[in-house]
This record gives sequence, structure tokens and C-alpha cells, in this order.
Amino acid sequence: MKANQSIISRISAAVSRVENLTALYALFFVVVAVLGLVTLPSITYYDDQLYPKTIIPESSLNPYDRGGVPFETTPVKAQYPENSPYVGYVTTYLTPLSQWLADHTHHFGTTIVAHPGGIIDEILYNTRGLDTVVETSILFVAFGIASYLFRRDD
Amino acid sequence: MFNLPTENIGGQELFVLEFGDIVNYFSPYTAALFAFALIFTALAIVSRPERQVDIAFGGDAYYAKEVDVDLLRFQRFMAIACGLATLGAMVSGDVFNFTLFASLVGITNIGIVAAYKNKHVLNAAFQYGIVAMLATVPLFGGAAIILASTGTLSMWELFADGVVVPIIAKAFLVIGVMGEGMAPFYVAKAEITRAQGAPFILMVHVSSLLLFLRVIEIVISM
Repeated sequence: MKANQSIISRISAAVSRVENLTALYALFFVVVAVLGLVTLPSITYYDDQLYPKTIIPESSLNPYDRGGVPFETTPVKAQYPENSPYVGYVTTYLTPLSQWLADHTHHFGTTIVAHPGGIIDEILYNTRGLDTVVETSILFVAFGIASYLFRRDD
Repeated sequence: MFNLPTENIGGQELFVLEFGDIVNYFSPYTAALFAFALIFTALAIVSRPERQVDIAFGGDAYYAKEVDVDLLRFQRFMAIACGLATLGAMVSGDVFNFTLFASLVGITNIGIVAAYKNKHVLNAAFQYGIVAMLATVPLFGGAAIILASTGTLSMWELFADGVVVPIIAKAFLVIGVMGEGMAPFYVAKAEITRAQGAPFILMVHVSSLLLFLRVIEIVISM
């Protein structure tokens, strides 16, 4: 870069380098985040949440305990209840093994990901089912890319 | 029950697709974007790869580059996945669902460009990948701020008059989509388009432009 270039040329030269892209984006993000911190006091938490969360420390299903009795319906809040006619029926379902684990340990809620037939979270799997599908697709695509790149030189 | 507020720039809804709390809608605007994405996905499915030719200066010689079949199949798969993710993002009626589709578009874009073996392209793809990963923070942060400050994620509620969405949440959403789709950061794209692989590489551009148009609609309507 020559010393007598105009300021616009210098900015243009810096921005056109691919290696500066990440730094540029990070700078942009930091500027907006700082402005966001300034406006933070004006943002208030909305009390009437659509997906309320209550933590019951003594429950063995914590933090996924949404209450209710198996094979009965449980009141579950939904944005459009008429779209989910069966909401509230599956949230209390536990397989016999899950029930045994919940009865004998205090850590069943944390095994949700590793344990099929564990707690079925109503909000995730019933009222917001499309989110679950897209999340799984993201994971699938990521595994697809990783396996292609790993086996490319075979 | 489902009525989009009329001051919405997309116009009235034509068709509503319900997935529980996630209610997708086709307004004239989103339906037009959906149609574009559909056309380009169909093109990615049916078209054949380009064959690049390098001319040697000062003579009649030229080099015809080979088409790598494995690379072609992987890129076609990623381009179709990218098109499907764009289709989902175009008509999504829920902020969190939209952000998920946006990050799916970002990761499929990485997949398209990361499959090359050219050093310059891989270098650009690496930077691009870092930005796309970084962009998930403002993207999902924006959705989280919207949920905390308004209590809902459904665009049908958020587009109504009484609901005030913080400006920082909107800014985060736009920055996140910019990072995922790379819409204004063409410096990386210029390097990437050196690579052979049209029309699959074009899916990167189409998806990011459509995603950007859609997030602008969302941000203005909220």
C-alpha cells in the first residue's frame, strides 16, 4: 500500500482482503452489541410468557417437570391451542424404566438427551414440532459435511 | 382467527400452513420469494455442472478442467438442502423457526464451498465459515431478546400494533442473517466464485439474497 493513497483507497484495500472479513464482522457485531448495552435499561422482561418455566428443586424430573398425572391431560400453555388438540396428554408420560429411574434417583431430568422414552417435552415435541425437525436437519447436514471432508482423500 | 395486520409490507395472507404454534404464511411478498427459491432449487436439481476451460496465453492451447463426480454429487446435495432451507425460511411465521432455517442455510453454504480443493477458495471458505458460526450468536440472541421482552415468538402476534420489539433485537436479527447468508460481505464470495461448480455455487448467492429480503420484511413489520 502506498503512503500517499487517499483514506477511501486505504479503507477499500483493507475491506477487500478476505483475511480481514472475520475481524470486520466482529467489529460490526461489537459496535451493535455496545449500542445494545446502552439501550438495555429500556428493555423490560415481559411477565406473561408464552412458555413459562418453573423450577421445582425437589422434583426428580427437574428441570423438565411440567406436572400432571399420566394418562390425564395437563394444562399446557400454547399460542394457538386449536392447532394442538392433543396438547397436555404426553407431557407426563414415562416408560416403566424412566419411572423407576425417576423414583430412585434425583437426576432423571438431566438424562433426557441420552434416554429414549424419557420425558417428552410437550413444548418441544408437540406445539413446536417443526423446530425439532429443523434442529435435527442442521445436525444431519453438519455430520454430512464433516464425513465428506474426512473421507475425501480415500 | 389468522389475520395479518394490514400495514404489514407483505400484504394480506393468501394461505396459512399450521404446525402447532408455528403458523407459516404465504403473503404476496413471501409467496414471491418462495417461488424464486423453488425455481432455483429446481434448477439445481436438473442442471448439469459447468466445464471450465483455461486458455493458455500466446497460443491455441487450452486446459479443460475435469469434473469431479464425488464433488459434484456432494455439492448438488448441499445445494438442494440449501434450497429447501431457503424455502422454509421464506414462509416461516415464527421468529425462532426463521432463525433455525437461517442457520441451516448458513451451514449448507459452508458445505457447498468447503468441498473444493483450491487453496484460495478454501481460504475464503474458512473465513466464511468462521463468520457463519459467529453469526449464530446475534441470530439466536435476537430471537431470545424478542421472546423475553414480548413473551411470544409468533410473527402473527409480533406484527400487531401493541407489541413493541426492542430495536436491539431487530439489529441482532439483521446482523445474524448478514453473517449467515453473507449478503453484504461479497469479498468472500468473490474468492469463492473463482471455483468451478456453477450452478451449485449460485445457490449460495440466491439463498443469501432471499434470506436478507425476508429478514427485512420481518424487521419492518415488527
